Amino acid sequence: MTTPPARPPLVRSSDRVIAGVCAGLANHLGWPVRMVRIGMVVAALAGGAGVAFYAWLWIMVPTADENARRNARRPASPIAPAVSAPDSQQAPGTAGAIGAAGTPGSSGTEPQAAWRSRVPGMPFGKEILLGAGLLLAAGILIARLLGVDVPLGTLIPVAAILGGAAIAWMQLDETRRAGLVDKTKADQAGGWARLAAGLALVVAGVLVMVSGSGSWEQTWLALLASVAVLGGVALVLLPWGLKFWRDLETERAGRVRATERAEIAAHLHDSVLQTLALIQRRAGNEHDVIRLARAQERELRGWLYRDAGKESGQLSEGIKAAAAEVEDALGHPVDVVTVGDCAMTQRHEALVQAAREAMLNAARHGGGAVAVYLEVTDAAAEVFVKDRGPGFDPDSVPADRLGVRESIIGRMNRHGGTAAIISSPDGTEVRLRLPVTAAASAGTAGAAANATNGEAKP
Amino acid sequence: MVIVDDHAIFRSGLKADLDPDIVVAGEAGTVEEAIAVIAARRPDVVLLDVHLPGGRGGGGREVLAGSTPLLGTTRFLALSVSDAAEDVVSVIRAGARGYVTKTISGAEISGAVRRVAGGDAVFSPRLAGFVLDAFGTAPADIADDQLDKLSARELEVMRLIARGYSYKEVAKELFISIKTVETHVSAVLRKLQLSSRHELTRWAAERRLL
Repeated sequence: MTTPPARPPLVRSSDRVIAGVCAGLANHLGWPVRMVRIGMVVAALAGGAGVAFYAWLWIMVPTADENARRNARRPASPIAPAVSAPDSQQAPGTAGAIGAAGTPGSSGTEPQAAWRSRVPGMPFGKEILLGAGLLLAAGILIARLLGVDVPLGTLIPVAAILGGAAIAWMQLDETRRAGLVDKTKADQAGGWARLAAGLALVVAGVLVMVSGSGSWEQTWLALLASVAVLGGVALVLLPWGLKFWRDLETERAGRVRATERAEIAAHLHDSVLQTLALIQRRAGNEHDVIRLARAQERELRGWLYRDAGKESGQLSEGIKAAAAEVEDALGHPVDVVTVGDCAMTQRHEALVQAAREAMLNAARHGGGAVAVYLEVTDAAAEVFVKDRGPGFDPDSVPADRLGVRESIIGRMNRHGGTAAIISSPDGTEVRLRLPVTAAASAGTAGAAANATNGEAKP
Repeated sequence: MVIVDDHAIFRSGLKADLDPDIVVAGEAGTVEEAIAVIAARRPDVVLLDVHLPGGRGGGGREVLAGSTPLLGTTRFLALSVSDAAEDVVSVIRAGARGYVTKTISGAEISGAVRRVAGGDAVFSPRLAGFVLDAFGTAPADIADDQLDKLSARELEVMRLIARGYSYKEVAKELFISIKTVETHVSAVLRKLQLSSRHELTRWAAERRLL
């Protein structure tokens, strides 16, 4: 058998006579189409098995474009996903037909199935196993029809034991595969059902085998007795098991708490305790104390209220970082309020730089807290920096002072934005506006310092 | 007025900072104490910490819920070190008339208390920012349900407050009286408390407010 990817998926071809089943099958198996069609007709003459097989494939195999749609989430496979599902519904009569039609693949299937089921994460391992089982059952049935004496009395219990054990042991593999993934309630219910089914099958199989007779009456009695024994054992072991389980749970919860605590303690030690020590040493310098307390508050806030779902690289983050920088450098509180947000671009970088310059000026010359407000709308990003200093006249700033003229107004204009500075004895406000597209601002970019376009127009 | 805060040091510091004409009638440190003291003293204003021990863990919201019959006469001003959206907006929606952070100065807090006592709302820049975030920055059409969006004027007022303007400065900037500013702010507060607008709900759900 070839490796899975080398084989085209089993789909109904658009090159069709009736439903494209034969063409699809031929394509899938790599045989000439004519041979497949002749084979199908011959099989149809043999008691109608070919017709049943054809109809079954017609129903179960998707057409080429259906499959293409489905492939968006599932990889191509040697067996069409839908084919394996209804196996169990096949009546024994048609099972023979499947056996006949499916023989070419079957010789290689069994060893490969065994190999597959052992490889974790291999798709369709279960389906192949199931197919192999059905083929085996069909073979046995045919053998019986042909008059070979099959020791059913031994085979069925052995099969039951094997099946039950397989079902129960499947869980072991699955828990390992699930790893740290949370087990939901549904998963657990499934696990219990599987355990019970496996247990019932194994117990029944063992009983039938041990009793050595197929008599139902005896089997029922033995079954009852064994269930009673199992119940008794469970009754005795349950408290012990529960206690063990609870201890385990408490220990696990305790460990989680301890880890959390250690993390918080480590963080507090690295930040708050260090800052408190620093504050004690600099208690005489009010300016330093305020700056330290402010920086620590900001850091702790960031840690406590951080929004895990929020992606980084946003404009609001850039503005906040700039404000923090200014706060650290000058020891002046800078309060930032943001409304809306967008991803940072190079032009926004210029906006942040200009805002930072404005904050520096406000913290240096203004009094009281500096208020920074960022609003991002569909049309533009706007930043307002307000202080309550004595104010100054933007026009009277000497030409050689580059702060305001170059770093704020010039920078904004170069990037297609605008800047306005409104100053009065009650304080100064710097209004920066950066439209979303540079083109949209071309008309207004020339309007410089005294334009009041910082005012948000609804 | 009554101060409700679980830190005794903060309560005494706040009392010392307040203007002398504001009489502190009582103090409380837990949810149960607060409800009892408020019911007994019937103050004009309660300065209410958002995070309080006791009760069922609801903090300031539980005090508000426990004092519902008094909401007409007693006004609540929320006070917190936290400026997380869920804390701020949940106490406002529970009935508080304003929100200030604990880093506010004594003079400012006295002004806020007087304003709340006078029946007005107190908006910090941050709260104004939350309001703008929640209601969106597009003004309401006249035909729209008035509860669900801010009018153009209310938006302007909110924007200016978010930018750090005092009520007086807002009034000057918009060429309206301070009284008008206060009316706008109260209207916004009412909308914030009463609106069940789907966008506000979604906004709140995103921040796990509901």
